[in-house]
Amino acid sequence: MAKKKTTIESKFLPKKVTILSYQRESADSFTIKVDFAVKHEPGQFVQVTLPGIGEAPISICSYSDKFMELNIREVGDLTKNLAKLKVGDKLFIRGPYGKGYPMKDLKGNNVIIIGGGCGVAPLRGIIDYIEQNRADYGDVKLFLGFRTPGDILFQEKIKGWGKNFDVRISVDKLPADSCFAGPVGFVTNMVKNEQIDNKNKVVFVCGPPIMMDVVIKILKEKWFNDDQIFISAERLMHCALGLCGHCMIHGKYTCLDGPVFRWDELKECKND
Amino acid sequence: MTNFTLSKVDLNAFIKSLSKNFDVYAPVKDHVVDGGSVRFKVVSDAKVICLSENAYYPLKELFFRKKEVLFKYSEKGLEVPVKKVKSKAILGIRRCDLHSLANQDRIYMREVPDPYYIAEREKTLLIGYHCKKAEEYCFCGSIDLQGNADIMLYELPGNKFLVEVHSDNALRLVESLKKIFKKTDIVIDAESRKIEGSNRLQKKDVHSFYDNPGWQEGIDKCLSCAACNFHCPSCYCFNIHDEANVHNMKEGERIRTWAGCQLKSFTRVAGEHIFRDTRKDRFRHRIYHQLQYFKERYGTTLCSGCGRCIRFCPTKIDFIDILNRM
Repeated sequence: MAKKKTTIESKFLPKKVTILSYQRESADSFTIKVDFAVKHEPGQFVQVTLPGIGEAPISICSYSDKFMELNIREVGDLTKNLAKLKVGDKLFIRGPYGKGYPMKDLKGNNVIIIGGGCGVAPLRGIIDYIEQNRADYGDVKLFLGFRTPGDILFQEKIKGWGKNFDVRISVDKLPADSCFAGPVGFVTNMVKNEQIDNKNKVVFVCGPPIMMDVVIKILKEKWFNDDQIFISAERLMHCALGLCGHCMIHGKYTCLDGPVFRWDELKECKND
Repeated sequence: MTNFTLSKVDLNAFIKSLSKNFDVYAPVKDHVVDGGSVRFKVVSDAKVICLSENAYYPLKELFFRKKEVLFKYSEKGLEVPVKKVKSKAILGIRRCDLHSLANQDRIYMREVPDPYYIAEREKTLLIGYHCKKAEEYCFCGSIDLQGNADIMLYELPGNKFLVEVHSDNALRLVESLKKIFKKTDIVIDAESRKIEGSNRLQKKDVHSFYDNPGWQEGIDKCLSCAACNFHCPSCYCFNIHDEANVHNMKEGERIRTWAGCQLKSFTRVAGEHIFRDTRKDRFRHRIYHQLQYFKERYGTTLCSGCGRCIRFCPTKIDFIDILNRM
């Protein structure tokens, strides 16, 4: 019997997109805007490909169904090669994937956003979302921490946020040749020193694992309930479809069940 | 359904007849190529089939390929290759491997339909073989085995098989071969469906063992080689990476290959952070995925009790022993 030919409709095949703008944010990070027009939730991510280099999950830092913005830190092969691209260059994207922040279910709440370093990127999507749906949410407070003043992301955007929201920024270190008017120290200290109660509030946290652990401990001391806290987890992902296994946290797939988790869904997972 | 008998002398005629429509695979003990190990291979003669030993290499390699080209890239763009596959008939699949295949089917055909897997798996005829006695490392009796073959063969006295038929297609096939399949009234009772000596795992519910000091015993001997993953008929994790054509670096393939959660790189993200950094984290994760996570999500254990992960472990870490002592 002859071999049967099967045409494969692959879920791994990304779409070609064009870079519309390129903004350098800091010495090791940049933001690109691409013409990838899909509906998505804030907090979801896409898989970005450069053929021959590879593929990596990148969180979406905008909220629009007409374009997509990605903030990328140069830490690996793919991201270092992405940094070399220019406006008009092509790359490949598939997605969006994962569960984002359940913004619709959280209408009517006051919002606290706590971000550290490149963890601010997925949180930026929430702010875009709230700006487009301002009447649905109460007060918005942002605590953002960066390593040094030179590492502060989205500087132009943040100036605009300051007009509508309560924005606090801290830097971990203040090198001799830099100037910064805000507090020096970890973002966790700002949260700790702030008088906040848990009344009608939800908290969105994203940052390095150690920072998120400390923030959650502080929030628990301030009597926040587990179901008021949402974190965005980072793991290695290859497929983003719930197959490849790399992103599994204690039986949950970060790419399907996350990357945004309500803290009560993840707290038993013992950082596995 | 009616049962049949098949004389072992007629096995060859059965294979010849199957070969008209299928690539017929069966376990073969090959001293020349595989150093005496048993592996599912295409056969044309019943003489080479080895039913007395479980296959060393898992059946999954016929469907969930060790290397799968997801797409090709070049300056022209991306292109998914057309897959050319011949239908397979696989003879001599033990209960453990049927369970694993059912798990892989669940993942790759139903939960997240994967066209690459489905193309390989479609129209496959499964012919199971009931082994009577457990081998040294088997513990399938402790597992609630799932999965069915189209045809199931049981040993009968007098150099014969009892043939149970479980699908309409298989029944048509068996009835068309009247010369070799004889109708019979013999039925297999519940006792004969058990596999003797295979009930080694007493502690199947691992969820309270997370912080148990007992894990240390396995970890002390683990080399992080992932032989357990690659011999496992159920493990379904994979890596994706690009392979450039060395003669023209502008073109190449994006490929999917088997992955092993016991390797340190399995959870390494850019910036060199490794989420399961210690052998303890990785060993425990494997056992939890096999016995708890998969069951919580899909209702059956991922583990089939075949014991290959112990048999092919270079330091023979017997996780059954370790769990039983917890």
